[in-house]
Amino acid sequence: MDSILTLLIFFPFIAGMFGFMIDQKSIRAYGISVAFIEFALSLVLWFGFDSQNPGFQFIEQFPLIPQYGISYFLGVDGISLFLVILSTFMTLIALIGLTIEKDVKNLIISILFLEMTMVGVFVSLDVIIFYVFWELSLVPMLYIIGAWGAKLRIYAAIKFFLYTFAGSLIMLVGILYMAYLYYQATGVWSFAIPDWQLLVVPFHIQLWLFAAFFIGFAIKVPMFPFHTWLPYAHGQAPTIGSVILAAVLLKMGTYGFVRFSLPMFPDASIYFITPIAVIAIIMVIYTAMIAYAQEDMKQVIAYSSISHMGIIIIGTFAMNAEGITGSIFLMLSHGIVSGALFMLVGNIYDRRHTKLMSEFGGLAKVMPKYATIFGIMLMASVGLPLTIGFVGEFLSLIGFYKVSPTMTFLAGTGIILGAVYMLSLYKKSFFGELTNEKNKNLKDLNKMELASLIPLVLLVAYLGIYPKPVLNPIDNSVKNMIELMEKKSITKEAKELIKKANSIEEAK
Amino acid sequence: MLEPISVSIASLNLATLAPMLILISGGLIILCIDLIAKNLSKQLYVVLSILFLLLDLGAVLGYQGAVRGFFDVMLVDGISILSQAIILFASMLFIPLALTSKRFHEYTFPEYFALFLFMISGFQFMVSSDNLILIFIGLELGSLALYTLIAMHNRDRSFEAAIKYFTMGAMAAGFFVMGALILYALTGTVEIAKMIPVLEARNYDPIVAVLAAVSFLIAALGFKLSQVPFHTWTPDVYEGSSAALAGYMSVVPKIAGFVVAIRIFEFLIHANIVWVQYVLYTIVVITMTLSNIMALVQQDVKRMLAYSSISHAGFVMAAIVIGTTQANSALFLYWVLFLFTNLGAFAMLWVSRHKSKIWHDRFDHPYTKFSGMISIMPFGAVVMGLFMMSLAGVPPFSLFWGKLYLMGAAVNAGFIWLAIIMAINSAISIYYYLKLVVYMFLHDPIENEGTIYVKNASTALKTIIGFSTVVTIFAFLLINPLLEIITAYVKASGF
Repeated sequence: MDSILTLLIFFPFIAGMFGFMIDQKSIRAYGISVAFIEFALSLVLWFGFDSQNPGFQFIEQFPLIPQYGISYFLGVDGISLFLVILSTFMTLIALIGLTIEKDVKNLIISILFLEMTMVGVFVSLDVIIFYVFWELSLVPMLYIIGAWGAKLRIYAAIKFFLYTFAGSLIMLVGILYMAYLYYQATGVWSFAIPDWQLLVVPFHIQLWLFAAFFIGFAIKVPMFPFHTWLPYAHGQAPTIGSVILAAVLLKMGTYGFVRFSLPMFPDASIYFITPIAVIAIIMVIYTAMIAYAQEDMKQVIAYSSISHMGIIIIGTFAMNAEGITGSIFLMLSHGIVSGALFMLVGNIYDRRHTKLMSEFGGLAKVMPKYATIFGIMLMASVGLPLTIGFVGEFLSLIGFYKVSPTMTFLAGTGIILGAVYMLSLYKKSFFGELTNEKNKNLKDLNKMELASLIPLVLLVAYLGIYPKPVLNPIDNSVKNMIELMEKKSITKEAKELIKKANSIEEAK
Repeated sequence: MLEPISVSIASLNLATLAPMLILISGGLIILCIDLIAKNLSKQLYVVLSILFLLLDLGAVLGYQGAVRGFFDVMLVDGISILSQAIILFASMLFIPLALTSKRFHEYTFPEYFALFLFMISGFQFMVSSDNLILIFIGLELGSLALYTLIAMHNRDRSFEAAIKYFTMGAMAAGFFVMGALILYALTGTVEIAKMIPVLEARNYDPIVAVLAAVSFLIAALGFKLSQVPFHTWTPDVYEGSSAALAGYMSVVPKIAGFVVAIRIFEFLIHANIVWVQYVLYTIVVITMTLSNIMALVQQDVKRMLAYSSISHAGFVMAAIVIGTTQANSALFLYWVLFLFTNLGAFAMLWVSRHKSKIWHDRFDHPYTKFSGMISIMPFGAVVMGLFMMSLAGVPPFSLFWGKLYLMGAAVNAGFIWLAIIMAINSAISIYYYLKLVVYMFLHDPIENEGTIYVKNASTALKTIIGFSTVVTIFAFLLINPLLEIITAYVKASGF
């Protein structure tokens, strides 16, 4: 049990290596079995997890390059636990829903390698190991988008790779400088996140380091104005690529903010609240408007992803337990919901080989099950109460309300705009007369597709009604982190803001 | 009356010369064998060369004696031993690449192997001395042999490459001599270690002459290290020589050049002659950036790799600008990792060498040649992709650790902007490496004849490539022991 995190990381990798020995015919079954075992392992992790303990658990550590303080250091806390489960779960679901026939063996092996990197990012407690997985995740994704995507796939894949790679290299300089600061302060080289979180960094250096890390994370999220790679990547990627990209890879950026930026540079984070909130609001409103103008269903969902990521950022920078817990919950719910929506678009694309809304209309008549599931996911995406989407959005916004009511109001309009573009998508595609001849004989969802979608529907409803088992461990770890931030903050403004954001009286 | 000169053999410390003597006598033995028996197979010469190299490596690593030897001309310190080990390792990896399944003109001559051994002994002389005259002799011995090796590939382009390299090299040699001459005029000695106190005593006056000497030396070493603006020969020479030799040239002569550069420039930088540091800083930045941009527009993989190795040389040159122990250790670490990856990448080109130009009437290895390699030869494509990713610095492959440590050294010494420039350049460089990966993995194959990529392959070549691959992947396990050894040697020699 003590080595469960190592198992979680490397099981998919080793299984992927063995995958080369399996023939094309049985590779799908193999992929699903491996993903299922991996998911079961992550559930074991959850059951073994002590939700009262806010610190890191299942710690594994041994030195890798002791000369330079780099060690193989893993651990999981409430913040990362559910992101790990989300990664394994969405990989399983995406593999079940996989419909690609061409070179499916290479695809499944790439997905398994990708799964390794995703889990690795979330459980690494050594920054260099984190960085290794962070960068390595680009390679399988490049292949997935570039080899199985649509017409412009190569352009999209390269754009995705270059953007993220460039951003993370700047972050690497920041990492090295942070290590140097730590060395100066303590005389020991260390790249361990818990060590770094305890280091108090002078304010003016915090600003620079925050900026360096910000570039790496912001491109990954992606935040305005670095978001231009995402619509291409989503538009060109195969369904499974979009699902994993939206569900997990984007969360790496927001996870980075929570894990690095906030606890390591609390004063700088607070100093930059306003500009970041402005960027986030631009993301929410601007991309929602672009989403409304799209003709392609997949692009609508891609832009809606950026819009939702804006709310996650707002919640993260609320600097209080509600906001940050909410934003982490929103990462999970957005992962599930956007993953489901991309799969649904994939289903219709498999049937008609088009994603243009103008080609559809009246689908609800021929595909009732499909329309129902799409409807539920759409409601969750909009943030209807009693769905999973509501909890995170509400908490994030209520958290930020204590920082700035006006900006919260502006961000809240995103929910309305979200309803506008999603409902118009639904109206154009599912309601009205069934005019297009080609749509008359469409088959409803088959068993495999249902098997991949129904678990998501159940989760959307269950966690929408009763989110407590997930919220609790997150909340514990987040509170722990905020306490640390308050202790560590050096500027007066930061101390005041953290106090204000976390007290109930101030929220009038 | 003149005193009779009596020098005891013991004080000569001939053991310092032993490694070079092994190779020189090895070369002579090969020539003698050829005199006695003609038409022996190349396997014999390859194996003999490897054996001589092994003996040499043993002599280098086992050397325990005094640092100085042979009238104090030889200087076998830590960085000398390190760089000799790197040179010998690279040579041992390179020479089996002669065991191709196709016949090539140069390998039918035993002289090729003799020249090869002479060349290595030249580079060994170059790194184990701080006497400018011996450095010059080593440089010329190595270079002249190398020009011939290039020309022996026996194609029009090889002759062109050899002559181009020769003329450029001759000019560089001239510069080197001019620089050494001015330093001698200033200080009355040709030994770097003895120059320092003389220059310091006079407070580097006249500074104009010092700077002139340094300028000549920068130009001379710039040619050898292919630093911009002295790099123009590199792509053409690499293109003209065989892929294996090009890979070798991108590693071995350069490490020899770096050691000389460390010896000459470090003391100037530490003496606070900021001018030298500024000039080197500028050269580093221009070398990295310009060659990266040039590499972006290449149509031929070999030329791309040539520009990429210029950019790597610029990247490593930064270590000399920084000048701390950590930076110098990073230089050697980087070069050890670069050795395996780059030699592997060039060996992959070597394996796919084809006599006729079927893909392009100008280039041997245009990108289109590798289209869809993943579906024709998945394993080869993965290996080549791995080398590309490693060269680009994608973790956890080997060169990432070199970059990490070198950038860390820059940050620790306060060169934040240099570190950022290095990061940005890595980001630029990923594009051209990725271009090859994209051709291999994402494009459809244009020709479906499955053997085109392995025309030249033999067990020996595959073993070398496999070995490089393993080192590239599992580099993270090697870093710590390597760093320990390298840091100990670099510290011991006082850099």
